[in-house]
Amino acid sequence: MTAGVRGAVVLLVVLAGLLALGVFAPDLDFPSFYLVLLGTAFFWIAQTSSWNLLSGYAGYFSFGQAAYVGVGAYCTAVLTGRHGVSFYWTVPLAAVLCGLLALGIGAVAFRLGSLRGEIFALLTLAVPFILSALARINGDIDGGQGTIVTPPEAPGDLDFQQFQYLLALIVAAVAVGVSYLVQHSRAGSALTAIHDDEDVAEVLGVPTFRYKILAIVAGGVLGGVAGSVYALQIGFVTVESVFGLTIPLFVIVMAVLGGRSHWLGPVLGALLIVGLQDRLSSYGLDSWNAIFLGAILVVLVAAAPDGLYARLKARPWAALIAFVVVCGTLAIVNLWGEELDWVLAGMLAAAAVAIVLGTRREPVPAQPEAEAVAATVSTVELEPDDDVPPVGDVVVECRNVAKHFGGVRALEDVSLDIRAGELIGLIGPNGSGKTTLVNLLSGTFRPTRGEIRVGGKDITRLAPHQIAHVGMARTYQIPKPFGSMTVRDNVATAIMFGREPMSLRAARPLAEEHLATVSLDHLADSHPASLNLHQRQLLETARAIASGPKVLLLDEALAGLNPAELDNAVRVVRRIHRSGITIVIVEHLLRVLNQVCTRIVVLDRGTKLADGEPRTVMSDPDVVRAYLGRQAHV
Amino acid sequence: MNVVQATLSGALIGGLYALMAIGLSVTWGVLRVINLAHFGLILIGAYLTFQLTTSWGIDPLLTLVVTVPAMFVAGAVLQWVFDRLALAEFNSLLVSFGLLIITIQVASNVWSADFQRMDAAVNPYATESVSIGRLVFPVTTLLAFVLAGLVVLGAHLVLRRTFAGRALRAIAQDRAVAGAFGVDHRKLSLLLGGAVGATAALAGAVFSLSNALTPETAYEWFGIVFAVVILGGIGEVVGTFAAGVLVGVLSGVVSVVWSPATAPFVLFSAIILALLLRPRGLFAMGAVR
Repeated sequence: MTAGVRGAVVLLVVLAGLLALGVFAPDLDFPSFYLVLLGTAFFWIAQTSSWNLLSGYAGYFSFGQAAYVGVGAYCTAVLTGRHGVSFYWTVPLAAVLCGLLALGIGAVAFRLGSLRGEIFALLTLAVPFILSALARINGDIDGGQGTIVTPPEAPGDLDFQQFQYLLALIVAAVAVGVSYLVQHSRAGSALTAIHDDEDVAEVLGVPTFRYKILAIVAGGVLGGVAGSVYALQIGFVTVESVFGLTIPLFVIVMAVLGGRSHWLGPVLGALLIVGLQDRLSSYGLDSWNAIFLGAILVVLVAAAPDGLYARLKARPWAALIAFVVVCGTLAIVNLWGEELDWVLAGMLAAAAVAIVLGTRREPVPAQPEAEAVAATVSTVELEPDDDVPPVGDVVVECRNVAKHFGGVRALEDVSLDIRAGELIGLIGPNGSGKTTLVNLLSGTFRPTRGEIRVGGKDITRLAPHQIAHVGMARTYQIPKPFGSMTVRDNVATAIMFGREPMSLRAARPLAEEHLATVSLDHLADSHPASLNLHQRQLLETARAIASGPKVLLLDEALAGLNPAELDNAVRVVRRIHRSGITIVIVEHLLRVLNQVCTRIVVLDRGTKLADGEPRTVMSDPDVVRAYLGRQAHV
Repeated sequence: MNVVQATLSGALIGGLYALMAIGLSVTWGVLRVINLAHFGLILIGAYLTFQLTTSWGIDPLLTLVVTVPAMFVAGAVLQWVFDRLALAEFNSLLVSFGLLIITIQVASNVWSADFQRMDAAVNPYATESVSIGRLVFPVTTLLAFVLAGLVVLGAHLVLRRTFAGRALRAIAQDRAVAGAFGVDHRKLSLLLGGAVGATAALAGAVFSLSNALTPETAYEWFGIVFAVVILGGIGEVVGTFAAGVLVGVLSGVVSVVWSPATAPFVLFSAIILALLLRPRGLFAMGAVR
């Protein structure tokens, strides 16, 4: 049983237990005070879990959760309280309204080319502000006086406390379930990739826009439904109570406290904060609530930005012992407080212990075994290969491609055919347009003029992920691995969203094969942070070939390597080429290119200067002048 | 006539928006800190002016002698904390959000959550106005506009003409490289933090002249002030002023022509459009950042 499945089973057992508790509360003499408290906790669990879909997994922090709570709560309050509509109709309506609202926000925000996380956060901050103004001013909504909710009859022989408890429980269970399913599906991998590096994710074939919209809409629908049930819980809905900034504040503090990369994080955070709030209120410290919350947020962001879940996972026993000792001692001594105080004190102690002890140990960068590498170097065959695949049809056609940045003409009128099976060296002085050409081919930029066809298909209007699916893959000059994933999952993510979509489970074994191709399989479980430059470049290459490309663009994949690493990298390039992938390699090392390439293209000041056999090109006087300077002798 | 009056009044109120926004914009652009706690400083500045005027019966503008240095120190301390924590841009948003929450709650514990307004007897500015023909301008908004203009002019000259200003612009472009060329980033950012705090004191004082105070006001500033920051271009001093005036005029005119209710919609739609068309801000010239 994998950890994920075990989590699901535990989740279902807990859900069944809580349902039974709600239904049989009177028989068990379970105080209704606890039912109300748990109901509140469920509301916050639902809110934080749904917020976490976009803001935790994908890293787009939203300050606008109150928009969904407000729309959901007002939908229920106004329709039941003023128009006599049944509560059960208002819930799906709230879901639809909030889904549309989220879709609207996402469609606008994620279309902004330059959208950065901070701008998104501030945009979402404005949304509840606008909506609350609408509610205050519009007399048909409530004109700012607040609305009393007309609750429905509780079904069966349940009393109202049980009923609101069960409703909140079901909504929370759905939200946590969705959060769990997303994390364990393709969407979860896509959102994590977006979180780590959105541009790279897109180039590897992840339709980032679609997944961001999916996350924001799912979060909106769940937030709206929970808001609708919340109206029932609070009974009287006002602008301040549902559109106020306390909602995003609570949600953010809870998620930051619990941890945002795992579905359990928001649940932990919500339980702890709701417990703390309740205890503070019971001791008459309401005016200190916000001060505690603010302080928790400040301390956590500075000291433990990864949240409680990761820390608890690192030191589960220490935390459990702390909980049992503190909670048990208080209960036995019995000098202060009541059960809830003891439990909360225990939880706080466990959290503190976990945060202090569970510091993530920074992985020690793996030192490459220099001797071992060096020993194998002498055997490298630098003579021409015999089994190079034959050159076939044209796969990439560039026709009069130009790219201008304002007044700067980075590329002008470049025409180039790339045939299947070629290994093309793209050279030229710095600033000659090599990387610009790579960026055009991979769809990072769109050409100002001209046409690029891959396999006969015009790609100049396609998004980068669509270009990836046509069969184009690239590496970056400065490696950009997904920092939160293992080396294996870095590659597996590329496979999952490559030309043949598959699940993470199916992709992992294939990832090992690609890692073996670049001789990185022994580091599959490491994190990219512990890799050296050469290993990161190899990872970058493995990830690029994992998407199943026809053409691989290597942007300075050999830069900054020592001789042993260079030989290794050249061997990897040849191995990939032999497997049938066409390669375009941007490089400055002419000696190496001369030996491996079937053809060399020279760019100079944005135009194509020469194109042909390595030997011919290298002896072309124009090339020598442009590339090596006037006085050079070859 | 109404529209002319609304345009001019809006432009003057825009001065207050700009005064609030300028500190935020500069810390974001130069120091890479999105300092939501700036709203807290404005709030405390406003309450200090209110408190000093009310208990000592002095002229509200005289309180600036106390509040400006106090907020200078507060701003510098805040910046020192951000420096020590070495936060990424986004985390600074979260940390300063936490600090803002604390500030608002403290203000609420000290001055209560009710509206508080300076007594008309000690605050002569609230009721006075200047009329030109049939146009009437409250003194408070004129004051805000003039102060904002002076602050913007000062900041612009300092950033353009002085060594410290050039050093700050170098920090904005690349902190590490600026450091390598001998720019003392620590000291300068403390100074800048202090100066930004001082503008918060000014904004707070001006706000308290014509408005009743409640701790929650700080939240209400969020939308419009960030609109001004983003429209003006992050880190753009002159752009921020222009954006403040533009936002003021837009809300003023929309309020008169349609209704005050539609102002937020028009305003935020305009911002979203502007972000789509000019993502670096309407008045960005790539100066500071």
